[in-house]
Amino acid sequence: MKYFRPENQTQLFDLLSEFPPAQRTLLAGGTDLMSRYENGLSLPENLIDLKKLSDFMGITETDTEVEIGALTSIESLKKSSLIHDLFHALWQATSQFAGVQIRHRATLGGNICNASPAGDTLPALYTHEARLRLISYDGQRELAIGDFITGPGTTALQDSEILQAVILPKNSGFSTFYKLGLRQAMAISAVNFAAVGTINSHGFSQLKIAAGAVAPTVKYLNHFAEAAQNNSNTIDDIIDLVEHDISPIDDIRASANYRRRALKNVLIFTLTEMLS
Amino acid sequence: MLHVENIETFALSVTVNGVEIKRTVPTHLRLLDFLRDDLRLTGAKEVCGEGECGACTVIMDGDTVNSCLILAVEAHGTVIQTIEGVTPVEGLTNLQQAFVDKHSVQCGYCIPGMILSSEQVHNDCENPDRETVKQGLAGNICRCTGYKKIIDAVEQDGDQ
Repeated sequence: MKYFRPENQTQLFDLLSEFPPAQRTLLAGGTDLMSRYENGLSLPENLIDLKKLSDFMGITETDTEVEIGALTSIESLKKSSLIHDLFHALWQATSQFAGVQIRHRATLGGNICNASPAGDTLPALYTHEARLRLISYDGQRELAIGDFITGPGTTALQDSEILQAVILPKNSGFSTFYKLGLRQAMAISAVNFAAVGTINSHGFSQLKIAAGAVAPTVKYLNHFAEAAQNNSNTIDDIIDLVEHDISPIDDIRASANYRRRALKNVLIFTLTEMLS
Repeated sequence: MLHVENIETFALSVTVNGVEIKRTVPTHLRLLDFLRDDLRLTGAKEVCGEGECGACTVIMDGDTVNSCLILAVEAHGTVIQTIEGVTPVEGLTNLQQAFVDKHSVQCGYCIPGMILSSEQVHNDCENPDRETVKQGLAGNICRCTGYKKIIDAVEQDGDQ
């Protein structure tokens, strides 16, 4: 296995054009990749370590948006007062993410590009309406996160492209994240969800909810969220509407039926509490 | 230990416990194996090999990391501290002494990682409460003590 550590975009794009995806793997924090190698995944012919690309790191702010470099660590997000104050659901996801040793290495871009159905930052990024900036040798484009992640472990990233940054539009209102793991620490989510919106005396408005680990990708619960904004409905009455948007499976962490019931329970619990 | 068909090497330069080390290493060598087998620093342990247990914890550029999830080549140019480097030549750190005083050590296998994660807790937060200590140690597993005495020690050291 050859090891490369490009220090600028020119070196990176040279490597991307030299080695097609079958011959190389991109390494960000490595916390997921290395455990897969330990469990028998073959190492690539060429490993391209991205961690020296300093312009892919850090959190910057404009009047309307916050931009997070793809290689920003989960722990830096957890320690950011900007993320805590403006994107609370994302902050909650980072603060419940693995243990501190993993959070020091794991990156936001890595969590996105892994495209795990249970990825902890993903429901928050969906509800915060994150856009992803993909760059290549001859240009760049932006995609909504929901268009970027195409299935479990698959994304719309082209061979010559790389995820450079995550852009979050600033928004007023609340945002919250809930993770149900099988134990409190170090657990992969059995079910998770994030919600954003506003609350007034009439109930919720502009409510957007995204749930993870209940379908091949994170799903917006649009049917349920729409009904929850009609204050003649109680959350209990309309909870079965979540079924329209999810298709959970049985796996080692939970059965499909458990996930269905658990998602409904944590939604009822969280949203009812917010209304009271 | 990872395995590859084609072994390639890399000229690694890394500072470990204050000593600058230059070695040519296989690119697939994990940092944990480099520390234990090449440098004979056996304080970091391998248990799970996948980042769950924290027994392999070391400090890299000031942050605790799982050395089983890092290739030695990724440590090129960094500053690493292991439990051997944290421990004074004579005696113990306050935190290590608190572990002794509170009887926090049984078999001892997890303790190097526990000590380094506890150092991180104190670096991140001057007077951590019990919940903060628990969260800071969430990435370290102990199968003997039930954690109470370990958490007591980290709290006691914070009170000093």
